[in-house]
Amino acid sequence: MATGVTAPPSTPPPVASPPRSEHATVVVENLSKWYHDVVAVSDVSFSVEPGVTALLGPNGAGKSTTLEMLTGLLAPSQGTIRLLGRPARGDTELYRRVGLVPEQETLYPFLTGREFVRLNAVLQKLPDPDQATIRALSIVEMLDEADRPTRGYSKGMRQRTKVAAALVHDPDILLMDEPLNGTDPLQRVKLIELTRRLGDEGKTVIVSSHVLHEVERFADRILVINRGKLAAAGNFRAIRDKIDEHARSVRIRASEPRRLAQSLMGTPIVISVRLEGATADDRPSIVVETTDVREFYRLVPMAAKHAEVHLYEVAALDESLASVFAYVVGR
Amino acid sequence: MDALPITELTLRQFSGGRAIRIVAFFALIPVLFALIFLIDSEGTAPIEFIATLFEEIIAPTIMPLAILVLATNALGNELEDRTMVYLVLKPLSRMRIVLEKYAAIVITATIMLWLGTLATFLVAMRGDAAENLDMLAAIWMSVFFAVIGYGALFLMISLLIPRALLAGILYSLLWETTFSRFIPGIRVFSIRHYVQSIYARVFDNPVAGVDEPLRLISAIVTIVVIAGVTLAIASWRLSTMNLE
Repeated sequence: MATGVTAPPSTPPPVASPPRSEHATVVVENLSKWYHDVVAVSDVSFSVEPGVTALLGPNGAGKSTTLEMLTGLLAPSQGTIRLLGRPARGDTELYRRVGLVPEQETLYPFLTGREFVRLNAVLQKLPDPDQATIRALSIVEMLDEADRPTRGYSKGMRQRTKVAAALVHDPDILLMDEPLNGTDPLQRVKLIELTRRLGDEGKTVIVSSHVLHEVERFADRILVINRGKLAAAGNFRAIRDKIDEHARSVRIRASEPRRLAQSLMGTPIVISVRLEGATADDRPSIVVETTDVREFYRLVPMAAKHAEVHLYEVAALDESLASVFAYVVGR
Repeated sequence: MDALPITELTLRQFSGGRAIRIVAFFALIPVLFALIFLIDSEGTAPIEFIATLFEEIIAPTIMPLAILVLATNALGNELEDRTMVYLVLKPLSRMRIVLEKYAAIVITATIMLWLGTLATFLVAMRGDAAENLDMLAAIWMSVFFAVIGYGALFLMISLLIPRALLAGILYSLLWETTFSRFIPGIRVFSIRHYVQSIYARVFDNPVAGVDEPLRLISAIVTIVVIAGVTLAIASWRLSTMNLE
C-alpha cells in the first residue's frame, strides 16, 4: 500500500474509529488522500463485514475518492487498505473477487449490452463467458435488451448493464458508486432488492449514496462521510434517530395560510411558525420549524383538513445532507 | 477472438471512430500527389517520383502523424471517457493491456498505410508496377517497422503527457521532419533514420537517396529495442498512475 512521505495538510482531528471486526473483509486504516493543499479524505479508518454497508455523504464529501482507493484505482496519500486480507492496489489477481459499479455512465457505445458484459467475463478469464453473461444479464433483467447497442440505452439500462458487468464473475466484494442514479422508481426497487439479496448471500456490498432515504432501504450499516472525514459509523437506525432529532424547517403553501398557521401553532412538535413573503398567487407561505419532521409530514394534511384549507405544497427547507450531517457530526 | 479481447475491442473502437478517418486522410495524401504526377510528370521517372515522395513526405511526416493519431487514441480515449476502469479492474497485467492496445495500433496503422502506399504506387507506376515490386516491398517493410517504433513511442507518450497529441505533433514536425533531416549529428536519435535505412537496404537501388543508411539488421534491432523500452515504460506508467 502506498504511504505518503510528506506531511498532510492540516485537517481537523478525526472521529474515533469503530473497532475492527474479525470477520471484516474490508479494512481501512488511517486513510488520507490530498491533492496539494486540498484534503479529499482525511485519516479515515473503518472495517466492513459481509452484508450491505452504505457509504453516505453529501456530494463532494469524499465518497467516490474513498471507493476509488478501495478498488486500487487511486493511490492513497497515506494509510492502508486491505480487501480480503490483500492490499487493494498492485495485486491484479484480487480483481477476480472484487467488482465495481462506477459512477460514470460511459460504456463502449458500439458494443451491445451482451457484448459489454461478455467482454468483462472474458477479461475475468471465466471458463464459460457466454453462460456467465446470460446469468449476469438475467440477474438485472436485461436479457431482452441485451442485443441492442448500449448507445441507445437509457440511463437506467446503462446502470443495470454496469451492475451485470460487475457481477459477471460473482465477486465476494461489490463496490457500487451511486448505483441508483438515473434509474426509474421500479428499477430502483429492483436494484435495492438485488443489493440486499447479495448482502444476504454473504457478499460484502458497499454502496455509496448522497440520498438519505435511499440508504435507509439499502443497508442497515452506514459509514457517514462528510468533508473527507468519517463522521459516523454503525447502525443506520441509531444514526437516523440522531438525524431526526435535528430541528428542521418546512415551507407550506396553502389556500388559507394564516388559518393553517394558527392551527399548527399549538402542536407540540412545532417550535415556531412564521409567514414569509408573498407567492405568485399573493398568499404568503408558512415556514414551520419542527422537532420531528416525519411526524410533522403526517400531521400537516390532518391539520389542513381540520382547518378546511387546501394544501398546495409542503417542502423541507433544509433537507440537504450537508446541513443534516453538520448536525450529526456536531461541528 | 477471446484470446485478445482488448485488441478486438480497440479495433472496433478504431473502426467506428474519428481517428480512423484522420488516418485514412493521411494515407490518401500521397495518392493525391501521385494523381498530380500522373497529370504532369515533367520527365521524372515514376520510380524516382515514388522514392522522393517516400523519403521526403511519407516517411518523415505522414507516417508519424498517422500513427500518432491512432496511438494517442488507443489509451487516451479510454482515459478521457473513463472506460479504462473496465480494463484495469481485471486480473490482467498492465503489460498485457498495453501490448493488446499496441497490437491494435500496429494492425490498423499497418493496413491503412500499406493500402495508402499501394494505391500511390499503382497510380504513379501506371503499367510498370509489376516490374518494381521490390520497391513496394521495401516501402511496406519500412512502413511496418515505422509502425512498430512510432506506435510504441506515441503509446508511451499518451500515458506520460496530458496533451499527448500536441506533443506528438510537435515531435513529428520539429524533430522527425525538420531537425533530424537537417542536423546530421542528431539523426541517430530519430526513428525516421532507422525506417529509411530499412527502406534503402531492402530496396538496394541507387534511386533510394538515403544518406549513410545503417545495416538492415542494426536498423531493425534498434527499432525493436526502442519499442520494447517504450512499451515497458508505458506498462510501468499504467500500473502506477491514478485512474480517477
